[in-house]
Amino acid sequence: MTAVATATSTLTRCENVEVTHRQGEDRITALRGIDLDIAPGEHVALWGRSGSGKTTLLHVLGGLVVPSAGRVLWRGEPLSSLDAVARGRARAGSIAYVFQGANLLEHFSALENLVFALSVAGPPAQGQSAHSPEDLLALVGLGDKLDSLPAELSGGEAQRVAIARALAQHPQLLLCDEPTGHLDSATGVRVLDLIDALAQEFGFALVTATHDVDVAARAERIVELRDGQIVKDDRP
Amino acid sequence: MRVALGLAATGLLRAPLRTLTRVLVLAASVALLGGMLVFVGNSLRTVAGTAVRSVPLDWQGPVTSYPQVLKVAAAVGRQPGVAQSYPAATAPLGGAAHTGPNGSSSAGAGAILAVPSDYPSHMRTLRLLQGSVQPGGVVLDQQMAATLQAQIGDRVSLRTGAHSRPVSLPVSGVALVTAPDKLFAPLNPLLGPAPAQPPANVAIVELGTFARLLAPGLPSTAQANPTSGQQPGAQTGVGWQVQVQLDPVPLSAGSPSSALTLATETKNRVERSLPGQVQFVDNLSDSLHTSAGDALYAQTLYIMLAVPGALIALGLAYLAALGTVERDRRDLALLRARGASRSDLLTLAAAESAILGIIAGLMGTAAGLGAVELLVSGGAHASTGRALSTAAVCVALAILGAAAARVGAIAAVLRTTVTESRGGVRRTGRPLWQRLYLDLFALAISGLVYWLTARTGFSAVVNPDSNPTLSLSVYMFLAPALLWIGATLLLVRLRGRLVGWITRRAVGPRARTPRGLLLISASRRAGAINRGLIVVGLLLAFGVNLGIFSATYDQQATVDAQLTLGADVTATAAPGVAARQDLARRVASVTGVRAATGVEHSYAYVGPDLQDTYGIDAATFTRATSLRDSYFIGATADQVIGRLRSTPDGIVVSKETIKDFSLNVGDLLRLRVLDQGTGHFHVVPFHVAGVVQEFPSAPKDSFMVANLAYLESVSHAGGPNVIFASVNGDPPTVAARVATATRAYGTKVDDISHQSSRTSSSITTVDLKGISQIEEAFAVVLAAAAMALFTALGIAERRHEFATMAALGAPLRQIGAYLWTEAAVVLGAGILLAGALGLALSEMLVAILQHVFDPPPDALAIPWGFLGALIGAAVLTTVLATLWAGRGLRRLALGEILREQ
Repeated sequence: MTAVATATSTLTRCENVEVTHRQGEDRITALRGIDLDIAPGEHVALWGRSGSGKTTLLHVLGGLVVPSAGRVLWRGEPLSSLDAVARGRARAGSIAYVFQGANLLEHFSALENLVFALSVAGPPAQGQSAHSPEDLLALVGLGDKLDSLPAELSGGEAQRVAIARALAQHPQLLLCDEPTGHLDSATGVRVLDLIDALAQEFGFALVTATHDVDVAARAERIVELRDGQIVKDDRP
Repeated sequence: MRVALGLAATGLLRAPLRTLTRVLVLAASVALLGGMLVFVGNSLRTVAGTAVRSVPLDWQGPVTSYPQVLKVAAAVGRQPGVAQSYPAATAPLGGAAHTGPNGSSSAGAGAILAVPSDYPSHMRTLRLLQGSVQPGGVVLDQQMAATLQAQIGDRVSLRTGAHSRPVSLPVSGVALVTAPDKLFAPLNPLLGPAPAQPPANVAIVELGTFARLLAPGLPSTAQANPTSGQQPGAQTGVGWQVQVQLDPVPLSAGSPSSALTLATETKNRVERSLPGQVQFVDNLSDSLHTSAGDALYAQTLYIMLAVPGALIALGLAYLAALGTVERDRRDLALLRARGASRSDLLTLAAAESAILGIIAGLMGTAAGLGAVELLVSGGAHASTGRALSTAAVCVALAILGAAAARVGAIAAVLRTTVTESRGGVRRTGRPLWQRLYLDLFALAISGLVYWLTARTGFSAVVNPDSNPTLSLSVYMFLAPALLWIGATLLLVRLRGRLVGWITRRAVGPRARTPRGLLLISASRRAGAINRGLIVVGLLLAFGVNLGIFSATYDQQATVDAQLTLGADVTATAAPGVAARQDLARRVASVTGVRAATGVEHSYAYVGPDLQDTYGIDAATFTRATSLRDSYFIGATADQVIGRLRSTPDGIVVSKETIKDFSLNVGDLLRLRVLDQGTGHFHVVPFHVAGVVQEFPSAPKDSFMVANLAYLESVSHAGGPNVIFASVNGDPPTVAARVATATRAYGTKVDDISHQSSRTSSSITTVDLKGISQIEEAFAVVLAAAAMALFTALGIAERRHEFATMAALGAPLRQIGAYLWTEAAVVLGAGILLAGALGLALSEMLVAILQHVFDPPPDALAIPWGFLGALIGAAVLTTVLATLWAGRGLRRLALGEILREQ
């Protein structure tokens, strides 16, 4: 495979990625020998038990964690060798996160969380449609919660604001970390349905880290992790 | 407890940087108090020592006869605590005559002092200029020697009465009698020290010679009516007295109060050991009593200025404790979940506070001692005992401070149930003081007290006639104390709502721009900003108040020193010398002297009141010293001096005299003036030319000012005895030149700088310079530390939020802007608060102490240099701390933080 071919067919790629970190005197290996590529628009589930390395891999893919060894390519460009500023710049306009606990900015209202994301992402690239924060919140069914602070939102509402905030970043890749972890099952299903629908509508690649088989089953590709290694990559 | 100590130590070591921060902040807080304790202790010892040394004659015990005075003096001298005990006598001097190569000259009435030969070597009441006290000889006072034109070896004849037989004695020396007001004062132990006009001429005779040649012709006055001696020249017989000086070392070891107690105990013991033989007039206790009042005032002033700073500094410890509150809260919640009771948690908090307190207390002691050593002239003088007692106080305070901060920070955990505390539930509802509106109540009472003080002229400081003292009431410090408390509580109540309201008004209903987001974030974190504002703003207010008050205090101390001394430089000479040698002209010609004028200081009776009387040359006086309009009542300084100039027999009298004798300007006023030529008082007519309340070199009570020429024509005192000079350059330098130029005429030259450093019964009693330097240094350091802590706390509290922003791709500059905004808001609001509160507090303190400020200041003095340094330090630290915090943002472990829920 040529590099050019890789760049066009792969959105992001991990090559022999290893992540180790210190815990006191010990060195813990969180990820080992990870080779993974994600295609544009692809829906991948990272499935495994707690401590298997799902969240760390998700953070590596978004440039939040720099691998100890190996490299991460973003649209053919090395992401892991960039400095924090450049990685942030790469994230700002194309890689979005939805965390387990929503991680909304607590001193901003729902609307202001989106305004902040928009201010970071900047204007959409050519060909992408611009959405106002009100539109995006309406899209996730929270048109009436514009001025609500995170503390005033329910868990499901907060997660929907987080999704809307992710959309404000015009993502090509959405990384979801246990997006239903803090929600009851009915709300969780509604949130997953929403994410799937939006992925369809906006065409971004979706990587969901989960320990839940049912959640993983919604993806077209399931990558199983165990003890920091990919043990199974179930491509369609 | 051992387990708790182990757990506490482990917890502290687990976060070494935060522990170090808490220790340093606590240490800085207690260092301020420790430094203050050391300084105040030293200051009180200095005040006591100065008071003891300033008394020329500690005790005077009248006795009935020569044998008795010898016996009692010997017995008193053997008592512990007594350094010197001398038999002495005073007697009237009817006149003296001397016949020399230039003819005969005579001196008028005066007094005889009889003392043993070695007396001048051990007592401070007189200073031998030439020769010595010898049996069979006489030592003449400098003025009398000049009048008689007598030298050592000449014979002079002394008469004890107008018609008594003269006794001829050879002159064995010339002396300066430095404490004539004490030596010749009427002695009545029941009434205590009483002021008296010193005699014009003094002859000092050896005691044995006096007993043999002069005393036999005179009766003893030991049991005389105490009022008999109040008028000069009224003494008709021999006053035998035992004169005593106490050992100054034990008296100077403590405060004036302890010195007073020791002196009184010693006096009682000595009197008890000689029952019925002697009772003393206690000049020392009189001085120490005044000093004890001054010391109490000084202590209160120190406390009033320093304690708010120290308390606010302990607020810093609370901020520092907040830095670890989340981790602490989780740890404690975990311990409670595992079965730890509230008392277990409190024991753990106590153990941690003890560890922190001991380390911080010891560090604070060292810093406090170091600050005093470095910043106060004279150093810390810390003996091992004093250092240990300071350390004990500092450690105790640090433990208490650490415990208060710790308990305050983890109060939620201690109050709530296990489940609630694990979930981080906080207390809701207003505390009792808010429901009772104690903050507004305190501010209202403060304002009321201030209004009463400023409008009605009420003051707890009183200056009784003829014995200026300060007495203190708690009332006087109620206004500033309640202003501090009320302002702090009001800030706590507001919880930054004002900041929030202003920012929301600036942003509008919804933030849609990055700038709007910054402001709206600040408005929603108004509580946290307010916490920083309370500490930073109040610390800056402490600094501003301290700086302004100290500057005003220094300014008024200088004004007071000039008022006390009379002019920038003064030269005192024996009567007659200044006129004969034209000293005013000689002084005026010295380089650096702008103008000079002669002033005659004498005494005159207004009815039964003996008052200081000043003869001035109205034409030259205002050029040689400064007069303020506030010194006079009903007219400006120029108007009063102009009236005096145009009225040869004019006299300016104090408002008490105007009131007591129902006088008006232009009224005739008959005074009894001492004619130095005859030694008797005679009635002289004057006309009131103005009303005065302050005058250069005049006492604080009643006095009068007349034309020098007219006064001289009726007193025959020999002209001016002091020269006032205004200078262009450095007063001590010019004073040294004046001293050199007039040394040949026996002048004593003084200057305003020397006067400022001297202790007297006025505001200059308290040297505020030392403690204000310590406090100003701490204010700068603590204000800087407060800003650094606030910024660091901002990072600690918002790390998850900032990590989320970074995860969204926000550049560090954009994230850092949130820190900069909050720091700027706290700093800006803190400076505004400090300006308003500091100014109000200074205004209050000055108004409350208006009777101490002598004269009251026209306006507050603003120390721009110090204020610039204070604000500059806060701004610089803010910039550095925020830059450092910005670098910390770069190192945030995003993956790790974002996993925290």
